[in-house]
Amino acid sequence: MKSAIAIAAMVLAVALYPFVLPGAYPLGIGIITGALAAGTVGFVLLLGYAHQLALGQAGFCMVGGYASAILCVNYKWDPLAALVVGAALAMATAWAIAAPILKLRGFVLAMASLALHLILIVMALEMPFTGGALGTYGVPKFALFGLALTSDLAFYFVVWAIVLAFVLVGLAIDRSRIGRALKALAASESAAMSVGIDITRYKVQMFVLSAGMASVCGSLGVHYLRAMDPNVFGFAFSLNFITAVIVGGLMSIWGGVAGAAIITGLRELLRGLSLPLWEGVIMGALTVIVLIAFRRGVAGFLSLLYERFTAGKEPQRVALAPPDLSSLSTIGTGSAKLEVSGASRSFGNLKAVNNVSLTVETGSITALIGPNGAGKTTLFNLIGGYQPLDAGAVRFDGRRIETLLPNEIAQLGIGRTFQNLQLFDTMTVLDNVMCGHHRFVAKENKNRETALRALAFVGLKGAEALLPGELAFGHQRLVEIARALALEPRLLLMDEPASGLNDSETERLAELILRIAALGITVLLVEHDMRLVMGLADHVVVMHHGEQLAHGPPDVVRKNSAVIQAYLGVEHVAA
Amino acid sequence: MDFSVFVQLLLPGLTTGCVYALVALGFVLCANVSEVVNFAQGEYVMLGGVVAAWLFAHQVPLVVCILLATAAGALLGALQERLTLAPVRSSPYFIQITITLGVAVVLRGVALIAFGKDPLSMPGFTGDGVFEVAGAVVPVQSLWVWGSTALLLAVIFWFLKFTDPGRAVRACSINLQAARLMGVDTGKLTLAVFAVAGGAGALAGVVITPIVLANWDAGIAYGLKGFIGAILGNFRSPGIAVLGGLGIGILESFAAGYLSSGYKDAIVYGVLLAYLLVRGGVFVFGRLSLQLK
Repeated sequence: MKSAIAIAAMVLAVALYPFVLPGAYPLGIGIITGALAAGTVGFVLLLGYAHQLALGQAGFCMVGGYASAILCVNYKWDPLAALVVGAALAMATAWAIAAPILKLRGFVLAMASLALHLILIVMALEMPFTGGALGTYGVPKFALFGLALTSDLAFYFVVWAIVLAFVLVGLAIDRSRIGRALKALAASESAAMSVGIDITRYKVQMFVLSAGMASVCGSLGVHYLRAMDPNVFGFAFSLNFITAVIVGGLMSIWGGVAGAAIITGLRELLRGLSLPLWEGVIMGALTVIVLIAFRRGVAGFLSLLYERFTAGKEPQRVALAPPDLSSLSTIGTGSAKLEVSGASRSFGNLKAVNNVSLTVETGSITALIGPNGAGKTTLFNLIGGYQPLDAGAVRFDGRRIETLLPNEIAQLGIGRTFQNLQLFDTMTVLDNVMCGHHRFVAKENKNRETALRALAFVGLKGAEALLPGELAFGHQRLVEIARALALEPRLLLMDEPASGLNDSETERLAELILRIAALGITVLLVEHDMRLVMGLADHVVVMHHGEQLAHGPPDVVRKNSAVIQAYLGVEHVAA
Repeated sequence: MDFSVFVQLLLPGLTTGCVYALVALGFVLCANVSEVVNFAQGEYVMLGGVVAAWLFAHQVPLVVCILLATAAGALLGALQERLTLAPVRSSPYFIQITITLGVAVVLRGVALIAFGKDPLSMPGFTGDGVFEVAGAVVPVQSLWVWGSTALLLAVIFWFLKFTDPGRAVRACSINLQAARLMGVDTGKLTLAVFAVAGGAGALAGVVITPIVLANWDAGIAYGLKGFIGAILGNFRSPGIAVLGGLGIGILESFAAGYLSSGYKDAIVYGVLLAYLLVRGGVFVFGRLSLQLK
């Protein structure tokens, strides 16, 4: 509904603008705004959704701009064909760079894309076919299927039709499984991987898509300017992209459109006031202020207004239904055995995990216990693929998994929860849990149904529309468990699920874990809380100083003197 | 290969490399204590240069120019941290890092408005003379660049190695979370490190200005080349970052001299891209090490 109104508003504004403000100058601004918006809509997907900062986005505008200029001037190509070829070239370049680089963590794409842009500028200056510093002149007007757009008004409408098409693509992504995966990885990369989201893949996809859209922006701009030289799309133009998207609104496709309009308007205003030098300061300051004060930008502000306007009174108090034990009866793809053999991992001189072997039998609840610093969480992260093993092997269902990435491990049906909650705090509880179903490429109805059943199972029916932050801590833990259950796991890894819970919550958690095991899901949990473990586990593994100290049924382990010594100290053993 | 040509390329490369090294060090130290890649790092070099040259053109004594420009860098570094990063310390790093980019744009913009579009010049601290080494002619000012960089590095590394705050910085670089739990006041430390990084960058900008002129838009190039040094040091090791910065300066000079001056930037940035591609590509066969945040 909200997007339908926004689309209608944009179409109306675009249609009326040339008639409300007639004349060549306003029309030119309209065209420039549209060309910029074509690029910024893509940039929202990259910066706002995939959280990847690219400092050299204008480099892809250069690719499109030069493709259009050179192909149309020197080779008399059809402008539309040149535009498409430019976009394809930009996307291929983006893919070649991003596919390896985005496997690295950190903000390497920012500098890599800037380096690419600066290299392209040097090439534009030095290569024989670009026209050097003077550039390429006499670019024809844009044409559609051989029909030249002789009037600027026609070009204006074509530009904005392209923008509309890009917006529709963006909105479709926003609503799809990919959009949800992007929001998830932006909120927590670790958690996104834990439900099987291939974060590198989606980042690369958005970089490639945004490069194509930036290239179209460059092509359209060049057909308006009728010339291309190395300075048209410089570093300042990349900054325009960033400022536009941040001021316009990072979290919405509309932020790209709003931002393009604001940036172009601002620049014309400063020119009108004879203050063109102030552009940088003002744009930089706007970026900083919006990010500190109101991160959702103009589009977010409008969306907030809309919600205020349409929402009823105070949100109703949420009443949670009791857990519905039958809701997940159909879940479960058969549980499977996990075997760890000789696993080791050192950090410097510290052997955090030293030659540990353990087996989690199919359908069992196995608990991994030990004092602080025993290496439990490290072992857990080794199993989940979050850290590489120095030596040893991990087998799941007979298959070696120690070289797989966390998302690949999740894809096999291993769900996990985190000691420090890792919820997607910008998404509703329902969306959080729907992310859990990511590994099944299913219809949205099926995704939603699975998520609802998982929520009902843990006793969160009624909380679907809330944000995780609006729930009590204990309930947030349940959201994580529901998310892991939506994965339809064969093995569930739980990292200190009781930490931060009070006694009655811990008791309910124990019941929940038993019910999960009753579904036929193998459970491995790391836990401090001995009472929880002893009442729950079929099998207990005790770790101490990175090594396995004891294992066996709870009753046996409880009486093991080495275990008592590790937990309570020597004197208690003597006594 | 002519040895004098080699030296003639090596020494100027070392000179600009000093600037990149200090920028790289600033990147690494800031990232160690705050996890933030400060995209404004290169702008402090630019500011140091334009402020000093502008003051000198207005008849301010040279020593005062140097001190004021360095102090301005340190002050702005501290202000950047207090005004734009401290308020959003708990926000995602993505937001904090994007904010530093906005700060960089503001600093560039301010320099453009205050000091103008044209490059500013400044005479060498001890005249504009040259001296000869192994057949290569080098400006005397280079000695100032090398000397002040060496001194600054010595002080910073001594500080890191032998003082409590220095040890705290190193602890942060190993494990920020653990350092916080051990009682390191990362807020104060971050403020101090940003000030030092700003001041060091500005001083580098001052001493290099007699050789390369000071220009309002020089900050990106300093930043990007310093970044290459920092990334070679994996954004963790200050020593490797410094060596990386020096190496980039020398590489750039050799690329300009032996290959093509037009392509020299393309070659240096190409090295960055190639390095990242190889680093990324290696993981196709190996395995990513991921940290939980």
